[in-house]
Amino acid sequence: MSVASLAKKENGTCPPALITPGRHYLEGSEACVEGALVAGLKVYGGYPITPASEIMEHAAQRLPAVGGRFIQMEDEISAACTLIGASWAGGKAMTATSSPGFSLMQEAISFSIMTETPLVIVDVQRPGPGQGYITTSQEDVMQARWGHHGQGPIIALAPCSVQDMFDLTIEAFNLSEAWRTPVLIMAEETVAHMRERLIVPDLDQIRVVPRKKPQDLGIAPEDYQPYGHDLVPPLADFGEGYNINHVSLAHHPDGNVARYNLDMHRENVVRLHEKIEGNVDAIARVESRFLDDCEHVLICFGAVARTGVEAVMEAREVHGVKIGFLRLVTLWPFAENQLRKLINKVGTIFVPEMNLGMMVHPITETLRDRCDRVVSIPSIGALHSPETLLEKICEAVKC
Amino acid sequence: MLKHPMLKYLKEEGPYGPRLPLILCPGCGAGQVLNFTLHAVDSIIEEGGAKKEDFVFISGVGCSSRLTSHYLNFDSAWTIHGRSLAIATGALLANPGLNIVVFTGDGDAAAIGGNHFIHAFRRNINVTVICMNNGLYGMTGGQVAPTTLSQAITSTTPYGNIEDAFDLCRLAQTSGASYVARWTTAHPLKATKAIKKAIGKKGASFIEILSQCPVHKKETPVDMIRALKAMTVPIKKAEGSDKIPVGEFCDTPRPEWTEKYETIIEKCTARRS
Repeated sequence: MSVASLAKKENGTCPPALITPGRHYLEGSEACVEGALVAGLKVYGGYPITPASEIMEHAAQRLPAVGGRFIQMEDEISAACTLIGASWAGGKAMTATSSPGFSLMQEAISFSIMTETPLVIVDVQRPGPGQGYITTSQEDVMQARWGHHGQGPIIALAPCSVQDMFDLTIEAFNLSEAWRTPVLIMAEETVAHMRERLIVPDLDQIRVVPRKKPQDLGIAPEDYQPYGHDLVPPLADFGEGYNINHVSLAHHPDGNVARYNLDMHRENVVRLHEKIEGNVDAIARVESRFLDDCEHVLICFGAVARTGVEAVMEAREVHGVKIGFLRLVTLWPFAENQLRKLINKVGTIFVPEMNLGMMVHPITETLRDRCDRVVSIPSIGALHSPETLLEKICEAVKC
Repeated sequence: MLKHPMLKYLKEEGPYGPRLPLILCPGCGAGQVLNFTLHAVDSIIEEGGAKKEDFVFISGVGCSSRLTSHYLNFDSAWTIHGRSLAIATGALLANPGLNIVVFTGDGDAAAIGGNHFIHAFRRNINVTVICMNNGLYGMTGGQVAPTTLSQAITSTTPYGNIEDAFDLCRLAQTSGASYVARWTTAHPLKATKAIKKAIGKKGASFIEILSQCPVHKKETPVDMIRALKAMTVPIKKAEGSDKIPVGEFCDTPRPEWTEKYETIIEKCTARRS
């Protein structure tokens, strides 16, 4: 029996602390929370919004059983801010929201990048602008990268299945601790509300990255610098006697902001940039199929990978089109090197997205000399059907 | 050389140069409030009421929030404008054993942070909020605040303030605070005592310290401190007076948020085992 069905069986009855290994049949939202708990989630601060509320409701149900705490805050701004405080006090923290709420969290994201605060934010994207619509979307992928003020780098993942909602949530926590930075999970209504099989491995087989602590590196409190020591500085928690000063104004490695100094700001911002953009190959992942013989390629991410791979297989099997498939598991930092390594020379690159064409831009920029043309396949508010994609492929390659 | 006794709680030097003096203008009240607070904290630590490492100081943005920017030799955080209480809430959820003091200003607490202000007191999270109310936005050049008195001239009310001021103590009290007191920078001993009492309370406490901004008010600090004394009246004698009441507004403990949540955790973990 799945954890979710246990949880909902009887009001007030608490399910087992962590999900049991084996097969489950879960909703994406539930899998996300179960993954987070396995990764060590201790604090969830949320605010309701369709279509992300199920994640919050499941967290409210599940957290006390692991000794964690859930709070429903007064808005998305404060929800994001609870994660910051929780992380500093040593608790792994997450929230989930949908696009309008994601807009409200941007200042907290920028602040977390600058203060190098590990936390995880899930955006279950819905179409905009404004209140827009309440179906599915991939319209916030550029906001994920550029929505927060300043030029802080970001890590953003794009799950395409219930399994991914579990696995990538764990990966998001691991990346946030490993690189001491906020990590975004750019989900869509499609994957959050999808219900399908989840396979949970033995829990001791799941890698959980611990926080890099000054104590473990033999750094004494009097020598500790909250933004120093290394490219990824070690992080002391509140209450450990390290007298940490968290600051987001331009600061020296020791947190001292006393003398405004553009050089120290430049140095810090370059380090923050290098920390992520200089380690793209260690951070970013792509998945690919049929690239060996491909004359064309379809590049997509998130739920579009599901209909995308189906269209590619049908184009190959039924129409004999030599087309490859590539999925961006990580949207940001952008896997430029990996794309250039995998794709040498193709005719057409198809980029279906549930927006009017966003990731098509970095893809084009990366591969413009490796293809004849790039075809954007937009969709607003709904997943492309495999037939639609196949039609576009056949139209372009005249099959 | 004789040193100020509270310097032991400040970081004077660092590997990247001196951290003092404070950024605050001469005559500013925020330094006095820091002094009151450190005296209160010192006496709690000395009496064994709490350990130094359990204290965390959190602030938002504004002059008073600069107190946590990098001077304190405690765990501290200088955070987002208006959001210090939301960040403090998160920290308490991860570690309810922390002793959190929030430094805030009237703009930070009552304007941009107004929503978090009322909800923190409604939830009764274990935090001591110390608000330095100088009746204007000092850091940005003396603009009108929600606490600016009616008719006052500021840089954005050049023809006089047509709005009425918030009474932050009554707002905190009505929202559900466990302990509320107001003093001024002209009442150092009473303010220090109130801060100590507030920190000792389990639940959300609010201390408002009416404070002077000599720079934007273009008056001398001494005149302003005298005026603060003259414009206030003890709360017991406040009825019928048009002066601002100072003293304890309420001392009504009620169960704190994490204490209540603990019963849920216990229920959930007990049923499982």
